[in-house]
Amino acid sequence: MTAVNRELLRRSTVPSRDGNRSGKYRDEGAKLSALLLLLLTSLLSIASSGCRGRPWALQFAPGAKVLHLASRDDIPTLDPVAGYDTASWAFEQMLFDTLVRYSDSGVDLVPDAATRWESSADARTFTFHLRPDIRFSNGRAVTSSDFKYEIERVLDPANNSQGIEYYRSIAGAEQYSSGRAKAVAGIDTPDRWTIIFHLTAPDPIFLAKVAMPFAAAVPREMVARYGGDFSRHALGSGPFMLKEWKSGQRIALVKNPYYFVKGIPKLDAVIEQMGVDDNLEWLKYETGEIDISAIPPAEFPYVMKTPPLKALTLKLVMLATDYLGMNCQMPPFTDIRVRRAFNYAINKDKFIAVFNRRGVPASGILPPGLPGYDRAIQGYPYDPAKARQLLEQAGILKNFTPQLWLRADETQMMLAQSIQQDLALVGVHVRLKPVAWPPLLEAIRQPGTVQLELSGWEADFPDPENFLEVLFARTQWAANNNSFYYNARADGLFAQAARVTDMKERYTIYDEAQKIIVGDAPWVFLYYPVAYVIRQPWVHDYVLNPMRPTRLERVWLDPHPERP
Amino acid sequence: MRLNPMEAVGVLMVISLALVAVFAPMIAPHDPVRAVANTFGDPGAPSSAFLLGTDQLGRDVLSRIIFGARISLTVGVAAMLVTIIIGVTIGLLSGFFGGAIDFVLMRFTDVMLTLPALLLAMAFVSVLRPSLLSILIVIGLVSWTGVARVVRAETLSMAQRDFVLAARALGAPPERLIVRHVIPNVMPIIVVMAVLGTSGTLLLDAGLSFLGLGVPPPAPSWGRMIEEATTYFRTAPWLAVFPGIAIFYAVLGFNLLGYGYLRRRGRESVSQPAASQ
Repeated sequence: MTAVNRELLRRSTVPSRDGNRSGKYRDEGAKLSALLLLLLTSLLSIASSGCRGRPWALQFAPGAKVLHLASRDDIPTLDPVAGYDTASWAFEQMLFDTLVRYSDSGVDLVPDAATRWESSADARTFTFHLRPDIRFSNGRAVTSSDFKYEIERVLDPANNSQGIEYYRSIAGAEQYSSGRAKAVAGIDTPDRWTIIFHLTAPDPIFLAKVAMPFAAAVPREMVARYGGDFSRHALGSGPFMLKEWKSGQRIALVKNPYYFVKGIPKLDAVIEQMGVDDNLEWLKYETGEIDISAIPPAEFPYVMKTPPLKALTLKLVMLATDYLGMNCQMPPFTDIRVRRAFNYAINKDKFIAVFNRRGVPASGILPPGLPGYDRAIQGYPYDPAKARQLLEQAGILKNFTPQLWLRADETQMMLAQSIQQDLALVGVHVRLKPVAWPPLLEAIRQPGTVQLELSGWEADFPDPENFLEVLFARTQWAANNNSFYYNARADGLFAQAARVTDMKERYTIYDEAQKIIVGDAPWVFLYYPVAYVIRQPWVHDYVLNPMRPTRLERVWLDPHPERP
Repeated sequence: MRLNPMEAVGVLMVISLALVAVFAPMIAPHDPVRAVANTFGDPGAPSSAFLLGTDQLGRDVLSRIIFGARISLTVGVAAMLVTIIIGVTIGLLSGFFGGAIDFVLMRFTDVMLTLPALLLAMAFVSVLRPSLLSILIVIGLVSWTGVARVVRAETLSMAQRDFVLAARALGAPPERLIVRHVIPNVMPIIVVMAVLGTSGTLLLDAGLSFLGLGVPPPAPSWGRMIEEATTYFRTAPWLAVFPGIAIFYAVLGFNLLGYGYLRRRGRESVSQPAASQ
């Protein structure tokens, strides 16, 4: 199950919700193009000033409850078959329904389109019962075949879906993907409200896979009408429907009148302005123009020192781990002493302070809150003397200048310089290599290329497999195992866990694997990121989710004349 | 030699800058790279312990500015030398020989002039990897055009002078004419171009560093300091203001020196090298 581009997109995401991480995606190229864009747009605006209108005017009834958001980047896609990043998912989950979904603030699965479901004892058959009153926003009733249709779209190689790996275990999926079957034999739709999945092997986390937006109900006739352009005319059964999407400018969603929960959504519309960077977003928040904002690093200390502002902030430890990856196949990082020395040498406390303590020092691979997290794993304390001693034993103190690859943006550069400072104290002089995100992603997959990389991983679903096997199995070399780590015992445990359907037993096996990997220290375990956002006082019931973008259908607003 | 006031101030400023750069390790109160204060993520305001404050990585701003003078001056002066070497060579050849050589060289210069120096430099630096050497070569490569044109114009007028004609009539070969008769007479203008050009290259270096393409960290450079300070501009303005003043001081110093010299020579202006933006 290689998620080749998982990281690319997943990492580019968290942006608009969390100032720090959003910074990560900015690179110098973007800065340059932003500069050019600015020049161009200012020229254009001068040129078009003759016919000035209110380009931002969208008509809503007086007193309509409209939530205003802002983000820097455009949304990559609204087609569930293609979306694989937080920005796309944030909107897809408002427009579409899956069979089950995560609760608003947690990672427990709750009913969505399906009111109840059963799985066979061997975890190979899953039956879902749909609610009868569910409709697309054009009024057409949703049936089980709409769910089947979407999974077939994902499995169709012509659609190039990155979700394809998650549904390969369904019986008949391979035959369908290779064009040898007209339908996926393993998906049964005995009636309009029942859908049954038959798997070729036990999969205790299959439920989490159907909770991904890849498996949302999509109206076949709309896809037939718009084809590849469905993303621009996205239509589903979710609480909102697409009103307008002007690329790079704004997106507007309005209430879906057919949504199956009465009185939901509580908002009449959601409007997100695009092309707004973190600092501008903050200024717009201060003027009351937008309702939810990330907090830029420079403003963060001030916000936290000001009680009325602090009271409006929300924070949550994400299901993610940020790390300094060491290539275990490149000398001297083949030497476990060197890798451990790096763990001892880096002052995580200071590192986290550099970005306003928006992280929890990491002691291992799995973040707290992820099932299988083990607080007994203590990781490595800050101990430069021990680091120096280990490096001396390894005999590499002379002229050791490894290169650290990182994404070229301000926050990442700052963090890398903090690491540079710490390692200089133990005699290692790190050279920084900031590069844009796509080439970085390409480089870290090449064997023998990147010695050190500053990176992170976010959970796709709340299961230790999603961290341990995906990031450390031998089969993931040149894919997601970018530290080129290999330990036969860990690989054996992964294989063992895959056969076990009892969750408790699986977690025990994964825990053992985690202990082995932490001991081998292929990463410097840096921190578990903490998301911070600030809301306006008139915004209520806005909650953060540790793994997914915030759902907006239960958010409600006070009347607020302050808005300009 | 009597200096006029403008020149005198310029000389003082440039010399003071050079002294700071040379004696940086002795003058700087702290290590410019290490964390010396516990102000991580929340820059420290100027205080008696840290006169210009500390940045978000706990580094002393004053020490960074002092060490930054080394990099800025090195890049500024070395890039200026590259500029002058290229510009003078092209200008001399073009002005002295004229004809087809002149046409080809000047059209090439025109093409280079149409390209914005900063963008061109960014393109070069992105291809090469940023380092002290690559930065100064790139800056030199994009800022010689103004020098070439001015030197060509001076050479053209020199080549028509009687003493050059006389030397030529006596059978002096071209290389002797250029070296013995033309160069000494265009030297003053080259010196002015060099001094004024240094302020241009300093600014270009700061611009490149600001865009993240300058000398790589941890080496402190003024442009990068301002870049790193942008997010803190509203809450910790000293991070950007002091390196800004340093750049201002250096550029002003070289400009005063150059223009003062021009004024003493009885000329009010000379077309600026293309380096400034």
